[in-house]
Amino acid sequence: MFPDELKYTKTHEWAKMEENTDVVIVGITDHAVKQLGDIAFLELPEAGNKIKKDSPFGAIESIKAVFDLTSPVTGEVIETNQQITDNLELLNTDPYEQGWMIKIKIENKNEFESLMNASVYEGFLNEKGEEH
Amino acid sequence: MTKSHRTLFYDRHVALGANMIEFEEWEMPLYYRLGIVEEHLATRREAGLFDVSHMGRFLFRGKNTIPFLQHVLSNDASSLNINHSQYTIIPNAVGGAIDDAYLYRFSDDKYLLVVNASNREKDWKHFKGIIKDFNKVEIIDQSEDIAMLALQGPISEHILTSIINSGSLPEQKRNALSNAKINGYDVQIARTGYTGEPICFELFTKRENGPMLWDILLKNGAIPVGLGARDTLRLEAGLPLYGHELGIDQEGKEIPIFSCPLSKFAVSFSSLKDNFIGKKALAKQYSSIENLPRTIMSVAVLGKGIAREGCKVFKKEKYVGFITSGTMVPYMKNNIKRLHAICLGLLDSNLKIGDILNIDVRGRRIDGVIVSCFMPKRKRGKHVSR
Repeated sequence: MFPDELKYTKTHEWAKMEENTDVVIVGITDHAVKQLGDIAFLELPEAGNKIKKDSPFGAIESIKAVFDLTSPVTGEVIETNQQITDNLELLNTDPYEQGWMIKIKIENKNEFESLMNASVYEGFLNEKGEEH
Repeated sequence: MTKSHRTLFYDRHVALGANMIEFEEWEMPLYYRLGIVEEHLATRREAGLFDVSHMGRFLFRGKNTIPFLQHVLSNDASSLNINHSQYTIIPNAVGGAIDDAYLYRFSDDKYLLVVNASNREKDWKHFKGIIKDFNKVEIIDQSEDIAMLALQGPISEHILTSIINSGSLPEQKRNALSNAKINGYDVQIARTGYTGEPICFELFTKRENGPMLWDILLKNGAIPVGLGARDTLRLEAGLPLYGHELGIDQEGKEIPIFSCPLSKFAVSFSSLKDNFIGKKALAKQYSSIENLPRTIMSVAVLGKGIAREGCKVFKKEKYVGFITSGTMVPYMKNNIKRLHAICLGLLDSNLKIGDILNIDVRGRRIDGVIVSCFMPKRKRGKHVSR
């Protein structure tokens, strides 16, 4: 259900290492998109901003509420996806490719490696589902 | 944790795939499969069906009902003819609102007051505390005995006309009421609502007939709408919500009833209405704008982002008040669905329509402009093409 080549957080972000670089691409999973309902607004940081693992890097709003976007890694934002802020529908139709949010130049590859893989994330969701 | 209540339509919400949330101790549908945006648009273009059975319904009867209602409500209950209803406020002694409500007179000797779900117990205690000083008036909590649904939008009149067996729709003016039979069961119909739709109905029937009424309305084209779109629709219509635009504000102060522009339709100083709770304070509010430092105003957001309840508002660098409710609402432009942010704010009364404001949204300033209303005026009976 979730792409195998990506890593995942408990706050439903995905992260992907660009090949042969120290750049991580970050977005949110389709599970997160479904949970949000009608997405109304996306606030992303500007390139050059320093962000920290487990700290908010932006916000996503549904009609009803605001949710933080949490960074999976520490580093510097080098690019944000200008396409999606004007076309939020991409988060629904293509959350893992065109729906990417930011690119981060990371400092510590171990932070990326220690994120959940697809099957662990799926297990995490199932476990959470059982609690409800 | 307090036990949450369910309306008699709970099973139907679940069967329709509703996303259920806890609202004021009630388990209610936030939205169904279409989502908030589509449910909002369906109400504006067709007909939305809302379960509003979580609201409080108190029946008043007895010889002294009118003197009692005149004492505890801000509007003139004595002017209410049979088959009419009125917006009214339950004022406190200092001119603030205990609640806002709707008073319905479906028959000669009975008055039905519909109050907010969140205030049901508080209102009940307030009335019970005062009613003991009145003889020959009785208050009965019928919230559990009566099912209440709202049917709102341009085709809602067609839907009702097609399913009524006998009786009639209320005459074509807002707040009119009638009695009719649907599927052989008695249904009381009011031309009232909380969406700003010119063609709007609220329906009352015995609890056991509720599911029949729900099913027949859906079968005839109504679209189920949850609390999410109920909020976006009322906000777009500029209608106040208790706890946001009425009651105690976020700084802990009593919001004067007249700070809410709609209150002028809910407060009567008629000579027929003797002294009533809060009259003196309300007369003072009414006499001069200087007695109302802040007023509820409609603000269209110009910048990117959503102004939410609690956001601080500035004009140039001066702090002028705060947002009381805010959301995004859909609209159509060149057949493309878009969203724009709108909000209501309790703002300095000297601000004017057209004034540009800065709203602090999580540390970022976005522009907004004060507007007279968010919705273009539409005439009753003029159907929007589907």
